[in-house]
Amino acid sequence: MADSDERVLEVKGLVTNFYTYEGTVLALDGVDLFLRRGDTMGVVGETGCGKSVTARSILRLVEPPGRIEEGEILFRQIDPESGEIETVDLLKLSAEEILKTRGGKIAIVFQDPATYPNPVFRIGDQIAEVVLLHQDLSSDVIEMKIEELQDKLTQDVPAEKRSQIEEKIDYYSLMLQEPPPPDDKDAKKAALRRATQMLEMVRMPAPATIATQYPHELSGGMRQRALIAMALACNPAILICDEATTALDVTVQAQVLNLLNQLKKEIGTSIMIITHDMGVVAETCNWVNVMYAGTTVESCATEELFATPLHPYTAGLLTAVPKLHETKDRLPQILGTVPNLITPPTGCRFHPRCEYATSICKTEKPKLEELRPGHWVACFNPLE
Amino acid sequence: MSSNTILSIKNIKKYFPLTGGVFRRVVGKVHAVDDVSFDINRGETIGIVGESGCGKTTLGRTILRLLEPTEGTIEFDGQDITNLRGGDLRAVRKNMQIVFQDPMASLNPRITIKNSVGEPLVVNGIARGPKMRDMVLKLLSKVGLTEAHLNRFPHEFSGGQRQRICIARALALNPKFIVMDEPTSSTDVSVQAQTLNLMKDLQQDLNLTYLFISHDLSVVKHMSDRIAVMYLGKIVELTPSDIFRSALHPYTFALVSAVPIPDPRFAGKAQILSGEVPSPINPPVGCRFHPRCAFAEEKCWKEEPELRDTGDGHLVACHYAGELDFGSSAQLDYAQAVGKQDAQT
Repeated sequence: MADSDERVLEVKGLVTNFYTYEGTVLALDGVDLFLRRGDTMGVVGETGCGKSVTARSILRLVEPPGRIEEGEILFRQIDPESGEIETVDLLKLSAEEILKTRGGKIAIVFQDPATYPNPVFRIGDQIAEVVLLHQDLSSDVIEMKIEELQDKLTQDVPAEKRSQIEEKIDYYSLMLQEPPPPDDKDAKKAALRRATQMLEMVRMPAPATIATQYPHELSGGMRQRALIAMALACNPAILICDEATTALDVTVQAQVLNLLNQLKKEIGTSIMIITHDMGVVAETCNWVNVMYAGTTVESCATEELFATPLHPYTAGLLTAVPKLHETKDRLPQILGTVPNLITPPTGCRFHPRCEYATSICKTEKPKLEELRPGHWVACFNPLE
Repeated sequence: MSSNTILSIKNIKKYFPLTGGVFRRVVGKVHAVDDVSFDINRGETIGIVGESGCGKTTLGRTILRLLEPTEGTIEFDGQDITNLRGGDLRAVRKNMQIVFQDPMASLNPRITIKNSVGEPLVVNGIARGPKMRDMVLKLLSKVGLTEAHLNRFPHEFSGGQRQRICIARALALNPKFIVMDEPTSSTDVSVQAQTLNLMKDLQQDLNLTYLFISHDLSVVKHMSDRIAVMYLGKIVELTPSDIFRSALHPYTFALVSAVPIPDPRFAGKAQILSGEVPSPINPPVGCRFHPRCAFAEEKCWKEEPELRDTGDGHLVACHYAGELDFGSSAQLDYAQAVGKQDAQT
């Protein structure tokens, strides 16, 4: 397979601007990143560096005054029948096609579990809605009917009826090979059944009860798990977690991260994790993209990034966090603050805060280059 | 109370009533802070950690009498301030200040920085007019801001700068004691490092005492001389700063283990605590941690453990403290690995 074939998602030179009254916010200035099939990829950076805008751009969820101006977002799917790889540019899809992709093939879990599930619908119904929209439920309906009949068989039924039921089961089993389209009522029932299965998959205790509850009846961690269940309900090729654990307490965060790691193994979804926490990246990701002020500054395998960061910003970010096992009097700090993106610095956007900046950094924008095999950096004076 | 103690709280309780029904009758109580006692020494930083809803913020506010304690006594600088009122309370409050979590919410958006920081000076009749301006300028320079910032409004600053303005305002009356309520939880890591460094510098220069509240274990560990771990309104462990190696309470150990390790080689090895924090309206009987504790035995849900000294001022509220074997910890393995690496280089 070619190198590009295993990249299920590839973002090239993405530019997204926001046209506000105060001026044009140059939120994304040529973002490059890719997600390999089966990987967990992290996008890290500080507030306002464009992590969430990148995620929203991928799903075409950028709303006015924002606009995606340039770039390509390539999504490579494996055709289930021919096994061939099909490449589509998400930015060129029609509104109808993107609706099918969003939620069905690429799903997202947002940051705040308190605002995202709709408070007036039951958890189960909300998950079922996604399933109904995106999935073919015809075989599910037949399976459900067979299950119901088999349930009946376990009870006390007269011998004559028993043979009738068995006959029916045989009939349905034959139908399984070429299931007819279900009617609405059956489809809804099947979707709810799938919802309960999803809740079970995300390790919810008593999934059938949870499915009939409203979001306010669940705790933060449970709600976040319900959202993950909702996102995974259609077996998406890509799951994007936008700060999915930021609002949770550490002990609950550990539970959710552990769950994500396990689910990835079970269903083989590629995951993109957006976070500001290097610890979360180390815990879950095997590839990292570091972003600063709307550009990708470094991209490599997680272990390599932690061992030998090449970009001065990444190195600063890694040392600025207090660590549990260390006793230090002062923390090394990155001077200054994140720039205003209406008037971003010229050249390399990090140069005003960089100790290694030279004159070229002020005038020219560094390109993301592969300095070492599998290690991309956008810097004129990378660390050694 | 020795002369070295600046603040001493004894059996502080804070319950919030829950009302319900047509007549708004009291139908229950939220046990936000339940029987907490400790002393704070002059010049030290005491850290308070715990998950959301454990009562750490309520405790900080109760100490400052921003909330009335339901029970218990607060002694500040040798004076019982539990029942002070009016002018007496105001006089004491000059010496104790608070920095809140969200700097945007705690600065009035329509008032310039000069007036925001100078307000305590005016209210207490210390300075006004040009004299106040000079004093404000001195305060701002302490936190790294300049004259150019004086007449700006809060929205013109970044998050980190706003938090510094709040710190400058807290310093206006030369307090001895400051409660830092999650001061860096809304800032980014690079700015967080700046703010933490600033707070440490100020503490040395001005001989301040801090009560540092945060949910981030690494930050508390970095800042504090002693750490109190709270769970459902109670202190379960109060340790000298090395919480990370010397945890005796199973909850502290679980909390330490849940912190993501910033090294991919140790990924996925954290011990994970099941369940979530129970409701503080009906806290579990006996030891409040027993439903989530891997080591819980019959005694744990029958008797409530007391906070006892295990030596060197290390207090633990667990029946089996010191007898439990927590097993290996990814955090400790990581620390050892890093230690070895540092020794080599």
